[in-house]
Amino acid sequence: MTAYLIKRGGAVVPTVLGIVTVVFLMVRLIPGDPAAAVGGETLSGEALELLRERLGTNGPLLEQYWNYVSSVAQFDLGRSLHTGLPVTTMVMDALPVTVVVGLSSLVLGMIISVPIGAFAAYARSRGNVGADSALTTGAMIIDTIPGFWLALIFILFFSIQLGWFPVSGPIDWGDPVHVVKRLALPVSILSIGQVASVARITRTAVLESLNDDYVRTARALGTPELQVLFRHALRNSALPLVTITGLSVGRLIGGTVITESIFSLPGMGTVLIKAIAGRDYPVIQGVILLFALMFVIVNVLTDVVYTRVDPRVRLS
Amino acid sequence: MQYSGAQAAAGNPAARTTARLPFRGMKAFVGNRNNLLGLIILSPIVLLAAVAPWLPIPDPLAPDIRASLVGPSLEHPFGTDKLGRDIFSRTLSGLKVSLTVGFAAATIALTVGMVLGTIAGFMGKTVDMAVSAVVDLFLAFPSLLLAIGFIAVFGPGMWQVILAISLSDAPRAVRLQRSLALSLKSRTYIDAARMASAPTWWLLMKHVIPNTIAPMLVVASIYAANAILAEAALSFLGLGLVPPEPSLGNLVSEGREYLREAWWISTLPGVFIVIVSISLHLFSDGIRENLDPRAAGH
Repeated sequence: MTAYLIKRGGAVVPTVLGIVTVVFLMVRLIPGDPAAAVGGETLSGEALELLRERLGTNGPLLEQYWNYVSSVAQFDLGRSLHTGLPVTTMVMDALPVTVVVGLSSLVLGMIISVPIGAFAAYARSRGNVGADSALTTGAMIIDTIPGFWLALIFILFFSIQLGWFPVSGPIDWGDPVHVVKRLALPVSILSIGQVASVARITRTAVLESLNDDYVRTARALGTPELQVLFRHALRNSALPLVTITGLSVGRLIGGTVITESIFSLPGMGTVLIKAIAGRDYPVIQGVILLFALMFVIVNVLTDVVYTRVDPRVRLS
Repeated sequence: MQYSGAQAAAGNPAARTTARLPFRGMKAFVGNRNNLLGLIILSPIVLLAAVAPWLPIPDPLAPDIRASLVGPSLEHPFGTDKLGRDIFSRTLSGLKVSLTVGFAAATIALTVGMVLGTIAGFMGKTVDMAVSAVVDLFLAFPSLLLAIGFIAVFGPGMWQVILAISLSDAPRAVRLQRSLALSLKSRTYIDAARMASAPTWWLLMKHVIPNTIAPMLVVASIYAANAILAEAALSFLGLGLVPPEPSLGNLVSEGREYLREAWWISTLPGVFIVIVSISLHLFSDGIRENLDPRAAGH
């Protein structure tokens, strides 16, 4: 296991370096002089030079690159062009909201979609094609609904009509009831976004497991059907589920950016959108870098969990 | 989803001609329940969006202060916005934008995927390693984030949005085409053609491309659906099409402020996003079933 971890960890290095390089190149790809694009035409020579320095676009390209990589390695992501605050501080302040919302939706998404997929597979294996098609088609339709649109419908219905959930204002972390109410809608929107893919994968995997010998044996031994489904068939479908969880995180990251902006949650997505509006490139780079690194870490974790769940993977 | 037509193509001559055609002819395509349903849903919408400028409806950009925030009625089926612009007309106009973005992004992803994927899978070695490394790098970013980053650099606008979206789909297409080409490479009929000293370009044109286009179309229709959703999401965030040009995402976004007094501005255009995207998903399922009839209903 240790050898595997070292090998898998080593494979991350080029990926991370690649990500840092792409994020570095972002600002250099801005057509024309990035500093002029950010500061506007009217900027004088001296101010322009200062801005170049703050963007890190002064000096030869290789030197810029070296400076960028070495400061990132020291967790220094530069300073915001507007507020002058260190980007690391801004991102770290916003991170908890994003992580809390993201993780809760991941968990809630699993709780909703795994049983749906399992029951669809079960219905199919018992010859109940109607129930299976209904569940599968339902999942497909949910997949095509844009999250931001559903969010507005939810706001319209649950907040404006019924007045159940607040959709703006600061989050008071000391009051659990308030936190749950404030985060209920965004978390639901994000978990609904995962239902389709997770349910579909669960269904395929469980359908396959239900045809396996150990399921027949379990049934022959008189195991109750629910136990056959959840303890035997579902457990053996864990591998594809681990994979899809990793992929879900990629979608979730995109989703949080939109959802946070709709529900005005002070997370990383909101920071990113504000920074883009103000062309605050150090902040844009910082947030994109951090999101991409989070995605890489999740992918590594997925692989590690994979080997824990199925020792055969490790050996091959 | 694995392509299985290749074995059939190697043996029986009847199957050979059919495998060349992506859907075993238009007849089989329309004969599939999902495809037919998709066509029934999508064609009137495409038609409506195409002929919108000639329909007797108000100009999508023309304000009418007397009709500000009017609810759905016979005169304005989808109501009007704050400036009194007709939402139905704006929705049709936005549909045209969304469909263009969706198909353009999917076509770019498909083309890049077919070309680079075939080269990587069929040529192998250094080329394959280089292509795969770039693909892996792009796939390391969550897709919407990649698009947002692209827009942050190149600014909002139609072409930027199309390129931003294909930037995240193209690597996926390359990866799929690469694996398809790789699996074809070792087939006996390819060996046979090689022994008959067939040039590589001939192999690619006659065997590889025709045998991979259909599975690629299965994913391309999903890319188109995702691109429409992505465009809407970007426009909604203010990173897509520049107002006042209506796109479905812009419309949903504009209605956000008036959710309380004018629910129709956001909700009705959003329904069209869902409908178009459902029909594209149906095509994807349909083409997949055309490819592998055993998969039907599975």
